[in-house]
Amino acid sequence: MIKAILWKELLQYRRDGRIVAVLFITLTLGIAAALNSWSSVQNMQRERLAAIKTDRTIWDNQGKKNPHTAAHFSRYAFQPTSSLSVFDPGLGDYMGSAIWLEAHYRDPATLRNIEDAVEIQRFARLTPAWILQVFAPLLAILLAFAGIASERERGTLRQVMSSGVSPKQLFLGKGIAALCVVALLAPSVVAAVVLSVSTHDEIELPSADVRLFGIVASYAIYIAAFTFAAIGISARVSKSKTALIALVGFWAVAVIFMPRLATDIGSNISPAPQAAEFSAKLSSESSSPFWGGSDEAIARREQIEADVLRQYGVDTIEDLPINYDGYLLQESEEFANGVFDRIYDELWGAYETQADIVRVFSIVSPTIALGNISSALAGSDLHAHRHFADSAEMFRRDFVRLLNEEMIEQGGKDGYAYMADNDFWQQNPDFDYQPPTLSDVVSKIWMDMVILLLWAFIAYQLAFRGVRHSFKQEAMA
Amino acid sequence: MSISAIKNQEIKALKTEPTQLILIISFLIACLYAVVQGAAYRHQQTDMTTTFIAEQNKSIEVWRDRLVAVDNGTTTEADDRWAGLAMDVSFPAVAAPGPLSDLSHGVSDVRPHTGRLSLWRSVDRLFGNYQVQSPIDTAAGSFDLAFVIIFVMPLLMIALSYDALSDDKELGRLGLVLSQPISVRLLVLTRLRVRFMAIAVILAVALAIGLVSGATDNGGISERLPYFTIWFLIATSYFLMWAAVITWAISLKLRGETTALLLAGIWIVNCLAGPASLSATAESLYPTPSRLAFLSEAREASNSAYKSKADIMQGMLFDHPDLTADNYSIPEYIRTAFLVTRTVDQSVAPVLNRFDEVQAERRDFLSIFQYASPAALTLQAFNLSAGTNLERHLRFERSVRDFKQMIAEEVERNVLVGQRLTLTEYDNLPRYQNNEWSIGQVIEKTAAPIAFLLIIASLLGTIALKNLGRLQTRILEP
Repeated sequence: MIKAILWKELLQYRRDGRIVAVLFITLTLGIAAALNSWSSVQNMQRERLAAIKTDRTIWDNQGKKNPHTAAHFSRYAFQPTSSLSVFDPGLGDYMGSAIWLEAHYRDPATLRNIEDAVEIQRFARLTPAWILQVFAPLLAILLAFAGIASERERGTLRQVMSSGVSPKQLFLGKGIAALCVVALLAPSVVAAVVLSVSTHDEIELPSADVRLFGIVASYAIYIAAFTFAAIGISARVSKSKTALIALVGFWAVAVIFMPRLATDIGSNISPAPQAAEFSAKLSSESSSPFWGGSDEAIARREQIEADVLRQYGVDTIEDLPINYDGYLLQESEEFANGVFDRIYDELWGAYETQADIVRVFSIVSPTIALGNISSALAGSDLHAHRHFADSAEMFRRDFVRLLNEEMIEQGGKDGYAYMADNDFWQQNPDFDYQPPTLSDVVSKIWMDMVILLLWAFIAYQLAFRGVRHSFKQEAMA
Repeated sequence: MSISAIKNQEIKALKTEPTQLILIISFLIACLYAVVQGAAYRHQQTDMTTTFIAEQNKSIEVWRDRLVAVDNGTTTEADDRWAGLAMDVSFPAVAAPGPLSDLSHGVSDVRPHTGRLSLWRSVDRLFGNYQVQSPIDTAAGSFDLAFVIIFVMPLLMIALSYDALSDDKELGRLGLVLSQPISVRLLVLTRLRVRFMAIAVILAVALAIGLVSGATDNGGISERLPYFTIWFLIATSYFLMWAAVITWAISLKLRGETTALLLAGIWIVNCLAGPASLSATAESLYPTPSRLAFLSEAREASNSAYKSKADIMQGMLFDHPDLTADNYSIPEYIRTAFLVTRTVDQSVAPVLNRFDEVQAERRDFLSIFQYASPAALTLQAFNLSAGTNLERHLRFERSVRDFKQMIAEEVERNVLVGQRLTLTEYDNLPRYQNNEWSIGQVIEKTAAPIAFLLIIASLLGTIALKNLGRLQTRILEP
C-alpha cells in the first residue's frame, strides 16, 4: 500500500510544473554553487602554498641580521582551507587567513576574504551548504504542504481511508515520496563532494570520511524534519492554503531571520571588544609592566637580574657567560605570554558566549543547529579557527624562544650587534599544523546534534499524530 | 456593500484576526529593534572615531609641545634631540560614520574607518589593527532597517494580501460581493490599500524614530535629513514596487495557494537567489589579486630593501646630493626605516591599484546587472545614501594612502638630512580631510535605481489594473 501511495505522489509531483521548476532552479543553483565554491577553495589553497613557500624563502635568505631584529620581522602562519570547505566554507571568509608571528606581541589573524567581497554578498553566499540549508526545506514544504489538507479539501481522504490505508501507511507513503524528490538535489551535493575529493588537501582533516558521512546524515535529518513538519501542519489545518502560509512563514523565520536576529542578540549581550581598545590593552598590559619606567617594572627587571646573577654565580652582568639582553628579551616574552593567554581567552570567551546564545535560538531554528554541525565537520567553524590560532601562538612562542636563545648563547658581549646568517635561518623549523581530531570537533557540537535530532523527532511525532488525528476527524465527520 | 464598509471590515480584521495581528506586531517589533540597534551601532561608531581622534591628538599635542619648547628656547636641542623628529610626524585619518549608518550598516562593519598615518608604517599596514570583531556576527550580517525593509517587508505584504481576491472566489461569495455596486478593481484596491497602509504606517513611525535616535553630535537631524529623504524615497519606491507586484499577481486570478507560491517564488529569486548569483558572478569574473600574495610582496620588498639599504641610500644621495648631511646626529636606522618603508610603498602600489581596479570593474558590472534583482539594487542604493557603501570606504582608504605619500614627500628632506621640523613647517603640513560625496552626487547616483523601481511599479500596476478591469467583465458574464 505504501508503494502505491508513493508512486501516486511521485506521479503527481512530476505533473506539477511548479515543483519541476523549483527543483530545476535549485539543482542548477546547487551545481553552480559547488563549482563556484570549488574554484574559490582551490584558489585559496594554491595561494596559501605559494605564500608558505615565499615566506620560507624570504626567511632563509634574509642575510646577516640580529636574531631579535629577525624576530620582529618574523614569519607568518597561514590558515589551511580544508577540502570540505568546498561544501561548507562556514566562517572561513570572515576570519583572517594569516597570523603574524612577531616578537613581543600576539597578533590577531588578518586578511579576511570578506573585505574583498561585493556589498550584496552580505545577503547570501552561493555555496552548496547554503543552497541545501535554505532551498531544500523550501522544496520539502512545497512538496508536502498540500499532502493531507488537499486530500481533505477534495474529499479524497475518506476514499483513501475506505480503501484500508492506515494513518502510518499514508504518512510513510507521502513522506518517502517527498524525501525522494528532495533527494534529487543530491547531484549538487555529489558535485561538491567530488570536487572536494579532487581538491588537493595540503592538510588532511582527521577522519575526513566520517566527517563527510556526518555532514550528509545531518542534512538528511534536517530535510526530513522539514518534510515531517510540513506533513504535520498539512494534517492539522483545514486548508492547504493555510498550511502553505504557515509553513513558508516558519521557513522565513527559522531559515532567514532567526540566524541573523539570534546573532545580533548574541553580540549585544556578549560584545566583542573594539579593535583599538583590544590592541591598546594588549600592548599596555604585555609591555609596560615589563619594559616601562614604573616601580613595578623596574623591580621586576631588577629581580630578573638578581636571579640570573645568582644562577650563574657572578656579580655583574658583564661577567655572565650569556648575553643578558637576549635573556631579558626571553623573560619579557614569558611575562607577556601569560597576558596574551588571559586577554585572548577573554576575546574567544566573548565569541563563544555569542555562539552559545545563538545556539539557544536553535530551539526555534534547526538551521542554526545544522549550520554549526556542518561548518564544524567541514573544519570551517569558530573552533577550527581557534585551534589554528592557538597552535600558531604556541609555534610563535617556540620560534621567538629559539631566536632569543641564539642571541643568549651566541650574542656574547655583542648583544644587539650580534648577527646571525642564512645558515642559522635555514635551520629554523616551519609551522606544522595539525587540525583538531574528530572527537574534539564532536565535543563542541554534540548539543547541536541533539537539538537537530530532537527537531526531527518532534516533527515526526507532529506528522504521524497529525495524520492519525485527521483520520479520526474524517471518521467522525 | 460600500467602499467604506469594505475599509471598515478590513481594519477590523487587521485588529482582530489573530494571524494578521501577530504578523503586524512582529513587524513592528522587528522595525523598532532594527532602529534601536542601528542607533546604538551608529553611536558606538561615533564614539569610537571620536575617541580615536582624541587619543591621537593627545599624543600629537605632546609631540608638538616638545617642538614648541625647543622652538622658543625653553628646552635646548641637546636636551631633547628627538623633538620635532620628522619621521615621527603622525596624523589620524578618519571617515566619519555615514550619515545614515544606523539604518543601513552596509560594509561599515568590515572595512576600516580609522587609520593612523605614520611614516614608520608602510601603506599595507595603515589599517592593520581592526580585525578582532566576531566572525559569527560578521557572517550573520546586520539586522538593520535596510534588512527589515528589503527582506521582511515584502514577505509581510505577501502574507497579508495574497488572498485579497481568491478567498472570495474559493468560498463562492465573489458573485455575491460583486452584486453590490462595487467593481472588482475597487474591491481589491480598497482591501490592499488598508493592508499595505498598516505596513506603511509602521515603517513611517520606525523611520521617524530612526531619524531622531540615530542623530549624533557630529551628525544631527539637519545633516541627516537630505540623505534621509533619499533613503526614504528608495524605501518608498521599493514598497511601491512590491505593492504593484502583489496587485499584479492577484489580478491573475489564480488560486490563493498558487498566488502565494508565485509571490514567494518572486521573493526568493529577488532577495536570495538573485543577489547570491550576482555576487558570485561578479567575484568570479573579476577576481581580486591574492591577499596572501600581496602580503608576500610587501614582506619581500621590505626584506630586500632592508638588505640593500646601503644601495638605496647611495641611490638617493646620488639623485639628491643636496641631501648629504655632514653632521648627522640622528641615528642611521631612522633614515633606513624611511627609505625601506618608501620602497615597500612603491612595491605594493601596483597591487593596491589592482585591488581598486577590480572593485571598479565589479562596480561597473553590478551597475548594469543589479537591475536583475531589485533587492540588490535597493540595498546598494540604501548603502550609497547611508554612506556605508564599499566605494566610499575604498575611496577613504585610497585617500589615506595618498595622504601618507604627500606627507612623506613634504618631510623627506628633513628625515634624510636629519633636520628637525620647525614649528612653522609642522603647522603648515596638511591635515587629513576625508572628501565626501556631495548630496548632489548621491542624488545623481541613486536617481536611476529609484526611477527603475518606480517604472516597474507603474508598469505592473497598470497591467494589474487592466487585468482587474477585464476580470470584472469575465466574472459578470453569464
